[in-house]
Amino acid sequence: MTDIASGSPGPAAPAGQRPEAVKAIPVRHPWRWVSAAAVFLIAADAIYTLITAPNMDWSVVGRYLFQRLILEGVSLTLALTVVAMVIGIVLGAILAVMRISPNPVMSAVSWFYIWFFRGTPVLVQVFFWWNLAIILPRLGIGIAPNGPWLLSASTNELITPFVAAMLGLGLNEAAYMSEIVRAGIISVDQGQTEAAQALGMTRLQVMQRIVLPQAMRVIIPPTGNETISMLKTTSLAFVATVPELYTRAQQIANFNFKVVELLTVASLWYLFMTSILTIGQYYIERYFARGSQRQLPPTPFQRFRQLLFTFHAPPPGPPMMTTFPSEHR
Amino acid sequence: MAPMVWAQAVHKSYGRLEVLRGIDLEVQLKEVMCIIGPSGSGKSTFLRCINHLEKIDAGRLSVDGELVGYTEKNGKLYELPDKEVCRKRAEIGMVFQRFNLFPHMTALENVIEAPVRVKRESRASSDARARTLLARVGLGDKIDAYPNQLSGGQQQRVAIARALAMQPKLMLFDEPTSALDPELVGEVLDVMRALAEDGMTMIVVTHEMGFAREVGDSLVFMDGGVIVESGKPRDVLADPQQERTRAFLSKVL
Repeated sequence: MTDIASGSPGPAAPAGQRPEAVKAIPVRHPWRWVSAAAVFLIAADAIYTLITAPNMDWSVVGRYLFQRLILEGVSLTLALTVVAMVIGIVLGAILAVMRISPNPVMSAVSWFYIWFFRGTPVLVQVFFWWNLAIILPRLGIGIAPNGPWLLSASTNELITPFVAAMLGLGLNEAAYMSEIVRAGIISVDQGQTEAAQALGMTRLQVMQRIVLPQAMRVIIPPTGNETISMLKTTSLAFVATVPELYTRAQQIANFNFKVVELLTVASLWYLFMTSILTIGQYYIERYFARGSQRQLPPTPFQRFRQLLFTFHAPPPGPPMMTTFPSEHR
Repeated sequence: MAPMVWAQAVHKSYGRLEVLRGIDLEVQLKEVMCIIGPSGSGKSTFLRCINHLEKIDAGRLSVDGELVGYTEKNGKLYELPDKEVCRKRAEIGMVFQRFNLFPHMTALENVIEAPVRVKRESRASSDARARTLLARVGLGDKIDAYPNQLSGGQQQRVAIARALAMQPKLMLFDEPTSALDPELVGEVLDVMRALAEDGMTMIVVTHEMGFAREVGDSLVFMDGGVIVESGKPRDVLADPQQERTRAFLSKVL
C-alpha cells in the first residue's frame, strides 16, 4: 500500500516480506458426509447380513482358509499365473514386433497366430493340450512325416497336467498380449523412431531402446488387467486336472457339502492375491512414468492422506510427493 | 574432390502428390547452405531424403561421393541392406523441428545412446565426450535433467549435442527454431553459428533470414518442389531475380 501511495511501481508487499497467507473458511460439503454415512450403513448392513446368515458356517471358512490342500492350491494358482503370463508377455511382445515388421512372412505368421488363438475358447485350448496324447501318442523330431524319430518322447510324459494348463493359458494369453503391446508401440510418437533412425540405430535397437520403454506406460495398465484376469482364469486348469485353488475348493466341497463356505475361502484368497498384484502394478507404473510426468503420482499412502484432507477442506498446500526419483538413475 | 551433397533431378511423390519435382544442387565440404521457402515447398522432404528417411523416386542423390540408399553396379541400382543404410545415417547428424529427444532418458543418456549402441564406443569415452558437448552447448549443469524439465531452447541444444556425439561429417537442420518461443531462438542459433565457424558442413532449412544472411555460404529458395533461385545469401535476399522469390521475401522480411 505504501508503494502505491509513494508512487513507486515496485511489488505490492515490501521486499523480503511475504504477504499474509490466505486463511479462508473452506466451502462446506455436508452432502458428502450424508452420502458417506448412507454408504457406510448399507455396507455394514450387507456385511452383517452375510456374517449372520443362518446357514453360513464361518467356522468352516476359518478351518479351511489355511488348510494344507487349499494352500497347495494357492501356490499352484500363483505358479500357473506367473508362467502363463511370462509366456504371454514374452511371446506377445515378439508377436507384436513381428506384426508390424516390414517382412511379410513375419507379419502374416503373427496375424495368423492371433487369429487362431484369439478365435478359439481358452477352455478348449487347455483341453486340447491335455488330450494331445489321444491324437499324437509320441512327440519328437523326425526326418520326414512318418519317418524314423531322431528324438522323441511319450506325449503323456511330456504334457503333464501343469504343462498342458501352462501351454493352453500362456499361448492364448500371448495373442491378447500382442495386441496390447502393439497398441503401446503405435502410441509412441513417430518422431521418436525417426530421431533414433537418423542416429543410425537399427530397427531392433529402435524398438528395444527407444520405442518399447516408452510404450510401457500404455502397455502396463492393460497387462495388469490381464494378469489379474489370468489369476482367475487359471481355474480352467481343472479340465487338465491341475489341483489349483478353485479345483481344491471344489474337491473339498464335494465331500463335506460346504460349497458356499469353500467358495468363500477361494474368493478370499483370490481377492488377497489380486490386491497384491494391484499394488505391484501401481509401483511398476510409477517407475515407467519417469521422464513423462514432472511429478510422480502419489503412492497409495500419500493419496489416502490427501483424501482425508480433501474430504472436508481443499488439498493441503504443497504436494507431499517428491519430485524425481534419483534412485532410478 | 566430390561435393559433400550432390543432387541431380531428385523427384519424390507421396501417392499422386509430387513433393519434389527435380532438385539439383551441390553442397561443398564446410559449406553452410540455408534452404528457405513456403511450407509445403518440399524443403523438409528433401532434407529427409539426404539421410534416407524418405526414398527418392527418380534422380540421383549422393553424400560424400556415395549414393544415398543404393549402390550402382554395371549401370544397375541395388537397394542397400538396412545395415548399410544405418551405417551411412550414423555419419549424418539431424536436428528436428520438434526436438524428438528421448523423453525416458536424461540429457546425458540421450547424448551417449547412439555412440554406445551404434558405434559400440566404450561407456567412459562417450560419457566424457557427451559431457564436453553438453558443456559446449551451454548445458553443462543440466546433464541429469529429463527433457520435460528443460525449456524448448535447452531441449534443442541437447538434440544438437546428441547429433554431434556421433561426430557426423554433415549436419541437417529441419527448421530447428520454428517450435521455439521467440526469446529462445537466439540461444539455438548461437550454437549453430559456432558449429559453422568450426567448419561443419550444414544444410539448414529455416525461416531465420538473419541467420541465413550472416552464417550461410549459400541460399536456396524452394517453391512447389523446385529450386526457384539460389546464390549468395546477401545477393538473393537483397536483390532477388525471380518474381516468386521477391513475393515470398516481401512477406517474411
